[in-house]
Amino acid sequence: MMNSLSTYKDRITDILSPRRFGLVTDAAIESGDYVVLDTELTGLDPKKDSIVSIGAVRMKGGRIDLGNIFYRLINPSTAMKHKSIVIHGITPSDVAEKPLIAGVMSELIDFCRDDVIVGHFISLDMDFINRDARRIYGAPLKNRVVDTCSVHEWIRSNDGDFSRHYGGLAEELNLFSLAKKYRIPFSNAHNAINDAFVTAQLFQRFLSFLPRFGVKTLKDLLRIGKP
Amino acid sequence: MIIEDVIEFLKKVPPFQSLEDAELKRIAEGISMEFYPKGLSILNQDGPASEYLRIIKKGGVKVFIKSNDDEEIVIDYRSEGDSFGFLSLIGGDRSRANVVAVEDTIAYLINKKTMSSLLDSNPAFTEFFLKSFLNKYIDKTYKEMHNKSLLYGGGDKLLFTTPVGELATKDVTTASKDITIKEAAGIMSEKRISSLVIVDSEGIPAGIVTDRDFRDKVVSKNRDVKDKISSIMSVSLIKAEAREYCFEALLKMIRYSIHHLIVVDEGRLKGIITNHDLMMLQGTSPISIAREIESQQTIEGLVPPSRKINTIISILLKEGAKASNITRIITEINDRLIRNILEIAERKYGAPPVDYCWIAFGSEGRKEQTFKTDQDNAIIYDNPELEKDEVEIRKYFSEFTRFVRDALVACGFPMCPADFMASNARWCQSLNVWKEYFSRWINNPTPEALLMSLIFFDFRPIHGNLKLAEDLRSYLEKHLKNQNIFLAKMAGIITKNRPPLGFFKSFIVEKSGEHKDALNLKLRGIGPIVDIARLFALERGVHDTSTLERIKVLKDKHPVISELGAELEQAFEFISLLRVHHQIEQIESSVPPDNFINPDRLSNLEKKSLKESFQLILKVQDAIVEIYRAGMVN
Repeated sequence: MMNSLSTYKDRITDILSPRRFGLVTDAAIESGDYVVLDTELTGLDPKKDSIVSIGAVRMKGGRIDLGNIFYRLINPSTAMKHKSIVIHGITPSDVAEKPLIAGVMSELIDFCRDDVIVGHFISLDMDFINRDARRIYGAPLKNRVVDTCSVHEWIRSNDGDFSRHYGGLAEELNLFSLAKKYRIPFSNAHNAINDAFVTAQLFQRFLSFLPRFGVKTLKDLLRIGKP
Repeated sequence: MIIEDVIEFLKKVPPFQSLEDAELKRIAEGISMEFYPKGLSILNQDGPASEYLRIIKKGGVKVFIKSNDDEEIVIDYRSEGDSFGFLSLIGGDRSRANVVAVEDTIAYLINKKTMSSLLDSNPAFTEFFLKSFLNKYIDKTYKEMHNKSLLYGGGDKLLFTTPVGELATKDVTTASKDITIKEAAGIMSEKRISSLVIVDSEGIPAGIVTDRDFRDKVVSKNRDVKDKISSIMSVSLIKAEAREYCFEALLKMIRYSIHHLIVVDEGRLKGIITNHDLMMLQGTSPISIAREIESQQTIEGLVPPSRKINTIISILLKEGAKASNITRIITEINDRLIRNILEIAERKYGAPPVDYCWIAFGSEGRKEQTFKTDQDNAIIYDNPELEKDEVEIRKYFSEFTRFVRDALVACGFPMCPADFMASNARWCQSLNVWKEYFSRWINNPTPEALLMSLIFFDFRPIHGNLKLAEDLRSYLEKHLKNQNIFLAKMAGIITKNRPPLGFFKSFIVEKSGEHKDALNLKLRGIGPIVDIARLFALERGVHDTSTLERIKVLKDKHPVISELGAELEQAFEFISLLRVHHQIEQIESSVPPDNFINPDRLSNLEKKSLKESFQLILKVQDAIVEIYRAGMVN
């Protein structure tokens, strides 16, 4: 793991460097680079809880790259609660030997490059990630972020075609209700990488409809996908 | 979990399923995944080439092309486990077809680099993709050819789609071969049947007895009716497999001049099919024309039925026949016609002073005749014991062959302009002289000798003492052993006839003259395949003369054919059918049939199939040049 002081310094410079953000926002959404991400947490309060796993898959436009996936279990710095263990199935002994978030963060940053991070209710995941990034590097991730939930909301009010195609829209907005409605195969196992993969497929379905409704560039996508 | 799912999926998909786990894992780790909502165009004809092989994980797509007049021709529907984009991935220039999602579709994408390395390291892979795609295109082209022509529309194609087993009469009375003649007769009169199938203890048909056997073999011979029935049954049972198409049964009935065929399934009796059953299936029957020809006693009587042979081609095309179906039937019928003419001649001139064998060569020798073609025939007669007999023999055959030649002309087979006919004394010779001809051509392969070899080495016995022709064939085989120079010269000649495909895969057509903008399908398409099959057949001592039979046998004998034989067969069938269609259209519009087609008048699919066929021929010709390089330089 990269945890020497000099690596941290390099990281900070790297994260803060303006050239890292060469994101061209007028690029077409079909050719955009995306990282679809999900985390599992000990609880929902950033003040008291921590990340226990991070899963992410890369997408080039609508194409999910299955050979390049990111999945890490993390030893949380706070106690794991019974309630969250039931949801994600990760027990304290599963993560006792795993690295702390500090050891995983640089790998995550490498994986995300300067691409658009996509997730379902992504602000919650980003709150936790950025809290830890601030603690470790003194700065949050600068990646642009798109929330599939917001995209779905935009579609609800703008894109009748999508709704026609799937025979109506999902009523509930959690990931699994959407997956079910939009015919994405999923298993019940709640883990960060499976959820990231389901989210990626949800995003894939949105991407195939958006250009017809004027959402053509990354700029447009960032606007409608604002968390 | 995600990768494991991909591996599990690939394990169910040919040809990936044959790969080792480690290789599958490597492929899976390079895979990406796309989603296409129903209605989305994934690839566009003539658009950018596909960068990936796409395997459908879920859903389905339609692969189609647009014809010149914007008509949609569906090539295929593909679903879970099928793939698309292969041809344009390998071709690399442009997309060959349109692909549209007909359902919401999820596809796994394998990139070009991975596919190239798989194709390089796994011959089975190449074979799987090349075969399945060429066949798919050509199959579609057949359909398109049948559909677009109103002449042949509407046929039910029953002859080629109905298995014999479906049409056969199922309740066949059988009896054990251990019963007596008397018992058998009892069964037959009780059931009021004219034939009885005799089976062995396993229930497998062993023979058949008919009313005639009782008359000819029992009553007239005073045979004891307590003898076993097996002593009078006919054992040479001609059978049809239940799963064979009726066409095959039809062919057997013509070939063996019989009306009944025993239908078996895995050796067991399934039923009986009769000529009548087949006639009911298709109205006008090739059998009835064959029978009409066989029943004639005079040349004058043969003329009208032989005129009907061309109509068989129309009938068969209407039934959805392939070119080889047509030529097989036409061969059987023409052979019968010639045999009948020869028998009439034998009656007219008396028994020949010496055994002889009538042989055919050229397309007739290869059983590849369609519309009536020039005569190509000869006589091999047995070596006379005394020299003085020679004079008498010559005199006999001189009149005999002229009579046959004229009879054939009357029946619609024009004389051979190069005089390759038995009526030419040069081609009516004793076995020894023929052997001398052959060895001279082989030992001294001048251009003329090579030309003769190309024509005469396709000889096939039609009538008379067939052993003479077999002798000559064995002699030829023995004599060709280690004749590398001769074979190399032949290879040199035939590979000079390149299919007319230009640098940018455009067709090369005649620049001027009567056939401007057209190309000669027979000379430039069919000819090279015939030549390839002949060369390899001579090289490997294969006795068959028809191109498709040669290729079939060579698949186990020649590395080039074992690799490309199946495609060559397809290409041969396809070009031949294109030619038959072209000719029948000319005949229907009262134009004398020729071999020239204008590629601009072909549909896109036909053009594509023709180009692929030409490319295949070029590939095999290149392989031949490689194999015989040393000899050709000499």
